[in-house]
Amino acid sequence: MELEELLHKYLNGNATNEEIERLKSDSQYKMYARISEASAKLQTPNFKEENTFKNILENTVDSPKVRRINPIGNLLKFAALIAIIVASFVLITSLDTTISTEIAQKENIILPDASEVILNSNSELVYNKRNWDKERALELHGEAYFKVSKGNKFSVETSQGTVTVVGTQFNVFARDTIFNIACYEGLVRVQFNGQTIKLAAGNKLKIENNKLVLNTQSTSLRPVWIENESSFDNDTLGTVLNELQAQYPISITAPNYINAKRFTGSFTHANLENALRAVCAPMQLEFTIDGDQVRIYAQGEK
Amino acid sequence: MKLNDNTCNEGTFSGLFKDLSKPIYNFIFFKCGSEAQAHDLVQEAFIKLWQNCQKVPPTKAKSFLYTVSSNMFLNEIAHKKVVLRHAKMQVSNSNIESPEFLLEEKEFSEKVEVAIANLTEGQRTAFLLNRIDGKKYKEIAEILDISVKAVEKRMSQALAILRKEIGNI
Repeated sequence: MELEELLHKYLNGNATNEEIERLKSDSQYKMYARISEASAKLQTPNFKEENTFKNILENTVDSPKVRRINPIGNLLKFAALIAIIVASFVLITSLDTTISTEIAQKENIILPDASEVILNSNSELVYNKRNWDKERALELHGEAYFKVSKGNKFSVETSQGTVTVVGTQFNVFARDTIFNIACYEGLVRVQFNGQTIKLAAGNKLKIENNKLVLNTQSTSLRPVWIENESSFDNDTLGTVLNELQAQYPISITAPNYINAKRFTGSFTHANLENALRAVCAPMQLEFTIDGDQVRIYAQGEK
Repeated sequence: MKLNDNTCNEGTFSGLFKDLSKPIYNFIFFKCGSEAQAHDLVQEAFIKLWQNCQKVPPTKAKSFLYTVSSNMFLNEIAHKKVVLRHAKMQVSNSNIESPEFLLEEKEFSEKVEVAIANLTEGQRTAFLLNRIDGKKYKEIAEILDISVKAVEKRMSQALAILRKEIGNI
């Protein structure tokens, strides 16, 4: 057997003593063996197991009801930890519920009053289950479509403003400095930057950087992204590229000056190349895909 | 006692944590060299597992955790140089080494530590998964999502670079 093969056998812990002797009779491979032995004695810094587990419990989503804990032999070492688990679960059910979506993931959520929410990719929703029958208030980062059942006032808080309704269907898009609201049924009230605007069914609002940009009619019955497509109406290219990064696991590099350009059109969530082509072609742009890195540049440049 | 075969079961989940948290911690540390970042990402990975506990059965938890923590690492920028701790010197009974020999071994070990920090992330991760965690090539190939041949190549490259950096003693 060649020395190189023997080396790998040795590294895998499968070499016999004779084979190791053979390996060490060659000066180069003797050095490799010496380095390998020395490396095996190194350690990573101390792993704080209990502390890390405690942090996990404090941060996890609403857990299942506390069941009777059966003493488990190999968890005896963690007797103290089990006490923490029980206490934390009781604590957690009284805290806020947070639901987040990853890139290219959508989530259907039923709220305690049977209101429905569809959460778009790379978004997050926070609400308190226990308080829900008294106050229907939640926090949104990103985009979601709401179908609210009749009841008390229902409010959606975002970093740029609040939307309140009483039994209706509407869509909220709140990312960075863009705040778009579309009402499909009923009436919604939008508060932002000290202003309040009432939005009736069949209308939509576009707010950029805290300024009202558009208040117009919309003919669709449901937002397009639920059907796995993202649609834009004179939105900045920056917004479009960010949405591409929310729907696909990619990282886009593009020259800064193109972000302010305006785009009207849509892209699919099902195929990255088609999506990029749909965005770039009408804007005289080209793109290259390299694994999860996408580069966009003006036609003619390199 | 047969544990409930569901990741959402608190007993099962803490069992998974007990078995897999240290290997995942080491894995991230080999990549980034930051104790704080490794602790953070282990935490995040297990939180993700809990949030997806309905979709990830206990048998798939290991590969889920490696994939998730690897992706999370890609999203962060790792600039830290990988600095490993030096294990306590073991006093061997069969060979009473001279003080000079022990000192030489200690210096050699330090040279190895410094040289390891200069490997590429791919070489270093594969090499340390084998050397420190004692994993066989087949398992390393699964974790890194590469072929066994590719693992062999990285191991050979790592040793060649380490030997060059340390010089011939």
